Amino acid sequence: MTSSRPSHPSPPERAEAAPRPLRVVIAEDAVLFRDGLARLLADRGHRVVAAVGDADALLAAVDRFRPDVAVADIRMPPTHTDEGLRAAIELRRDHPGTAVLVLSQYIETRYAARLLEGNAAGVGYLLKDRVADVAEFADALSRVAAGGTALDPEVVGQLVRATRHLQGLAALTPRERDVLALMAEGRSNAGIAAALVVSAGVVEKHVASIFAKLGLPASEADNRRVLAVLRYLGT
Amino acid sequence: MESMGSTGPVTQAADDPPAPSAASAAAALTVAGGAAARAPFTARARRDLLFCLIEVPLGLVIFAVPLVLSGLLLTVRLLVNGTSPSTPASGARPAGVAPGVLGGFVILLALVIILPRAARGLGAVHRGLAASVLGERVAAPPPARRGRGVLGRLAAQLRDGPGWRAAAYLVVKLPVLVIEAYAVLFAAVGLANLTYPFWWPLFRNHPPGTVLQPAGVLTPFGSFGVATFAGTWAAFAAGAAMVLAAPWVARAGAAADVWLMRGLLGPGRLAQRVADLEQSRSVAVQDSADVLRRLERDLHDGAQVRLATLAMNLGLAREKLPADADPQVRELVDAAHQGAKDALVELRNLARGIHPPALDHGLPDALATLAAGSAVPVALTTNLPRRPAPAIETMAYFSAAELLANAAKHSHAHQVTVDVAEQGPSLVLRVGDDGVGGADPGRGSGLSGLAQRARTVDGRVQVASPPGGPTWVTVTLPMHA
Repeated sequence: MTSSRPSHPSPPERAEAAPRPLRVVIAEDAVLFRDGLARLLADRGHRVVAAVGDADALLAAVDRFRPDVAVADIRMPPTHTDEGLRAAIELRRDHPGTAVLVLSQYIETRYAARLLEGNAAGVGYLLKDRVADVAEFADALSRVAAGGTALDPEVVGQLVRATRHLQGLAALTPRERDVLALMAEGRSNAGIAAALVVSAGVVEKHVASIFAKLGLPASEADNRRVLAVLRYLGT
Repeated sequence: MESMGSTGPVTQAADDPPAPSAASAAAALTVAGGAAARAPFTARARRDLLFCLIEVPLGLVIFAVPLVLSGLLLTVRLLVNGTSPSTPASGARPAGVAPGVLGGFVILLALVIILPRAARGLGAVHRGLAASVLGERVAAPPPARRGRGVLGRLAAQLRDGPGWRAAAYLVVKLPVLVIEAYAVLFAAVGLANLTYPFWWPLFRNHPPGTVLQPAGVLTPFGSFGVATFAGTWAAFAAGAAMVLAAPWVARAGAAADVWLMRGLLGPGRLAQRVADLEQSRSVAVQDSADVLRRLERDLHDGAQVRLATLAMNLGLAREKLPADADPQVRELVDAAHQGAKDALVELRNLARGIHPPALDHGLPDALATLAAGSAVPVALTTNLPRRPAPAIETMAYFSAAELLANAAKHSHAHQVTVDVAEQGPSLVLRVGDDGVGGADPGRGSGLSGLAQRARTVDGRVQVASPPGGPTWVTVTLPMHA
């Protein structure tokens, strides 16, 4: 995957990662991580219009700059519990034009449920660890900015573990389960194909089979598909 | 207050036989005499007197007990006699014995039911009086424990040590009551005697030769009559002596009373020790929960952030390696990158084991996250209208985590049920599974450790796990440590 790639243009297997430069607001109270993130985004050609340290400043910055994406840490001052999450929910309500990517040291299934709440468009919830895989993180950011969804594999893993006793899930082949998990993360068919190193046609076949076995309504838009899958998994 | 405080040691010196020298003893006596003369007019003396004045009627309330009891006995007698005509004549003798036995029983029962509780109430009034009038605070005894059912309540009443000690106080203080009554008498009658010379000329100005009935003068050592104006000065002198003596008598009565209160109305020494230990243990439990929470936060804001940043930078470095970079360098950077990510995962698991961050939002959220991560499907129900103390939440969370892990490891269960509810003063956590059963808390498993930890807050763990299942473990914790 990392072998022979030119430094900047998007690699062909990441077709969904549109190299559109984004205007980003970062809210993160740890200065070290905030600066690193800002450098990473700048390196990827995005423009960090504001980097702030708490939820109120995040809301103010989004009000002022109307960025494409807001990247927010969940635990921020003053109480260090879920300020970032609450701010993100508020942003999703008041600024539908701004996508929200929430980062956290921990993954809480409840948080994911609160964040998605009936609408998976333009929202992401990732472990901070994911930032280390720069290309994938950049992918997720672009996907969210384009109205898609990025859900951490750990959330999906927890959901699949918690519901694997369901009849429908038991009927899936191991490969179909992999595809289901990637779907729940918010990836498009092309993204799934890239991750599993198979052709898009094979993925389409798997997806159709999964939807048939689980009795889910077939859906074109990726984020609707995510919601359908998540609802099936019981958030 | 100031003058009284300073005379204390001086008076003692005057009373002590081996005084340093006659001169200083005389000086001390003078000072003591001055203090004695000032005594009735100090605030302390007024407070002592006021205390005695209220204590006397209050202390007499104890005599209501025999009154009530004899009333009860009378009622029983009447009831039995009222029904006796209907019994045949031959049964008259047994019927005569029965009321006595029955009456005694009723009295005993009434004593047991009424006395400790009433004595506690009266004791509280006495303590309140000492606190508000004298400024002497006597700690309240531990609250009475409540039994279950009629017999349980009766037993609890019988075992109510502080209640019975309060009853003892009410009886033992009767002699003190006499001293207090004397203090009131000294003050009141002494003041009355002081007035004799002043009203005598107003009302006893009869023509000479008129024979008048002598006016009576009351003293603690008997009474005498006064028939002349000169005689009224004897009454005045007696009154002055009584008024000067009253504060000392009042102080003796009040001091004796407070001493009795401390011994009988306060918490017993053992009860006090238990209360102290309970409190310090609660502080220790709470404190260790706080320390763990702080530790997790420090990890989150410190090491975890640094490691995440390091992993991010290594990821960036890895991307920026030129395509023709030395494969060894690429390998090293890859290894460092992977190592940082692995360390991040390990650190997260460690921090979560110290204090799960989901607990910040209460037990239901934290348990939901726990259930989501369980290897065995979990059906979770929570019913917690109020939030327990943080230390209790932590304990309940880790108990549930351990029980879930046990179920996954040993029981071969297909389904686990977790149920948390507030029941009265307790938080009850029930974890059940449909596995093979046979869990034995005696075999040094995690269950005994669980029970030990629960005991640090007076909680308990019950295990029902017959061979073949199902297993139910119930952890009962107080809502507040």
